[in-house]
Amino acid sequence: MTQPTLDPAVDYPLSVNRKDLLFTPTGKSIDDITLEAVVSGEVQAADLRITPDTLRLQAQVSEKDGRKQLGANLRRAAEMTAISDERVLQIYNALRPNASSKAELEAIAEELESQYSAVLLAELVREAAEVYERRDVLAESE
Amino acid sequence: MTAEAIQNTDATKNGVRHSLRTQLLEDRPVNLDGFVEEWPEVGMVAMDSAFDPEPSVRVENGVIVEMDGVARADFDFIDQFIADKAVDAATTEESMAIPAVEIARMLIDPRVTRKDVIAVTNGLTPAKLLAVAKTLNIVEIMMGIQKMRARRTPANQAHCTSARDNPLQVACEAAEAALRGFSEVETTLGVVRYAPLVALAQQIGSQVNVGGPLTQCALEEATELDLGMRGITGYAETISVYGTEPVFVDGDDTPWSKAFLAGAYASRGIKMRFTSGTGSEVQMGNAQGKSMLYLEIRCILIAKGAGVQGLQNGSISCIGVPGAVPGGLRAVAAENLIASAVDLECASGNDQSFSHSPMRRTARLMPQMMPGTDFVCSGYSAVPNYDNMFAGSNLDSDDFDDFNTIQRDFQIDGGLRHVKESDILAARTRAAKALQAVFRYLDLPPITDAEIDAAVYANGSKDLLPRDVLEDLKGAQQVMDRNVTGLDLVKALEATGFTDMAENVLAVLRQRVSGDLLQTSAIMTPSLVPLSAVNDANDYAGPGTGYRPSGARWEEMKKLRHVTSASNPEIEVE
Repeated sequence: MTQPTLDPAVDYPLSVNRKDLLFTPTGKSIDDITLEAVVSGEVQAADLRITPDTLRLQAQVSEKDGRKQLGANLRRAAEMTAISDERVLQIYNALRPNASSKAELEAIAEELESQYSAVLLAELVREAAEVYERRDVLAESE
Repeated sequence: MTAEAIQNTDATKNGVRHSLRTQLLEDRPVNLDGFVEEWPEVGMVAMDSAFDPEPSVRVENGVIVEMDGVARADFDFIDQFIADKAVDAATTEESMAIPAVEIARMLIDPRVTRKDVIAVTNGLTPAKLLAVAKTLNIVEIMMGIQKMRARRTPANQAHCTSARDNPLQVACEAAEAALRGFSEVETTLGVVRYAPLVALAQQIGSQVNVGGPLTQCALEEATELDLGMRGITGYAETISVYGTEPVFVDGDDTPWSKAFLAGAYASRGIKMRFTSGTGSEVQMGNAQGKSMLYLEIRCILIAKGAGVQGLQNGSISCIGVPGAVPGGLRAVAAENLIASAVDLECASGNDQSFSHSPMRRTARLMPQMMPGTDFVCSGYSAVPNYDNMFAGSNLDSDDFDDFNTIQRDFQIDGGLRHVKESDILAARTRAAKALQAVFRYLDLPPITDAEIDAAVYANGSKDLLPRDVLEDLKGAQQVMDRNVTGLDLVKALEATGFTDMAENVLAVLRQRVSGDLLQTSAIMTPSLVPLSAVNDANDYAGPGTGYRPSGARWEEMKKLRHVTSASNPEIEVE
């Protein structure tokens, strides 16, 4: 999907200047997140999450403001929105030193790509697998 | 007194006669501080070690194949992370060709814009950044911070903790800290199992008024993320990185695991910064003979490479280490400068007790407070020293009036203001009553009116009524088991008649959906507008430019506890 082109000087903060672009994962407008809607149960915890589209809009703001790495992180984050809290924590723990074998990390990269279309995250995990092998911080093979 | 009597005083120690002046100086608090000689072999050296590498870089086919004298095949995991993710391979050879002293001049020359400096620093290696820092004296470092700080408007962060982990106290302290002007409040625990209750209390207390500070609870990485995901905290900071590979591994992380974590926070719309600081590698026993600042620069570039928006640095909990060596506090200010100079948010330390000397404590604060940083303290203890569960801060609640006076004396903005006692008591009362109501609504251990009365008027936890700790810990477990979220706090506040506070908490949660707080140096203004390096970029360009306290803010800063009225010297200004 093509994203609208933003001008950080005009459009940021998006919550002030571009509310028209901000939606919850359930498709509600950010303006629909009202106290009344929370009390009535119309807005739930699942609504108070950022969407991949919004993260990519913020990545665009970062990049246009000269922050390449921050933009890249927000693009990885966009991919991560699809992964459950529990699985995110598991993958984080798997990336700790001496926690995983190379095959285990490669399997995670594969899962990220095939199940979540998370190509940037998969790349990060593959890089880790390579470096961990060279620096000897993989789990001892059984 | 006879000559014989003098002989019998302490002035004669070990058979050597000392002067009375020596005796007096010996008893000064500064002599309780620890000082050591430099010992470069183990890294006990601030920023000038013969073992630090010489700057170098070589690029082949768009890849850095040599950095600071190390060939790519011999890179440790930190070298590789920095070379591949932090240093811009396209511009590095050009940037590295500029002499260090020229880059240092760019840092302080008001005619060179912040953007122009960053175009160069984007391509610098750790050893080159060190070479730049080594040419700067402390005043030049401060000039550099003034220009390179990412956000135009400086701010401050508070610690709100309790030696008894008393949630009621933390709610009151957060309410007072908000009123005093802090943009962020941070808590941590003595007993970790208390975390959910205390974090929840801090969140409620911080939102007594519109536009309250963002909150965090410093815990082990995975737990901290969990509380953030639930919406009970608003940002995270204690994501530690280290400058040598063995220490990083001892910390049970790698730059890749931390980069993944950075993405995890952003994916939930939660602001996050990393933490590092000079001296941590020495303290953890593996500095590989490198200077403290060189290793810290590696940490700064790990943060940059991971794409996290900012860094808490300035030695932080290791301040005793650089504080003990010659030039140590110069190096600490230099690490803040370098974080700012590579375009990261900098929460600049001043957050740990490090000296018994009041004069030295103040001096340690000036390189950050005078030029202004994104967060002058990270944080300032909003509670008495004995209640500070981060092992004490460089500044605490006893120092509020001194801090406000220094702001006024020099017309420098450390983010705080003097507040009338009646306003403070009202905010503390409201926070306490809201917490009482929310606890009742969520079926958590009761808070009595007598407890509230004590907490509102308390200085610290010694003045409180004790709570039933076992019941509280069960309650804390309930918060986790029942999956209480930030949204439940909104509902509880609304249902118990604290509708305005419910709106305030919801306003913070709503920001998750927009992601505006994910941008560099983001805070929320009192009128609920995100303010970051994007819409409040530092535009310092020499005398007469950049941020200077003026208008309503300067008027507010002029107020102290006691100021004599000009129109009637018999009375004090309100």
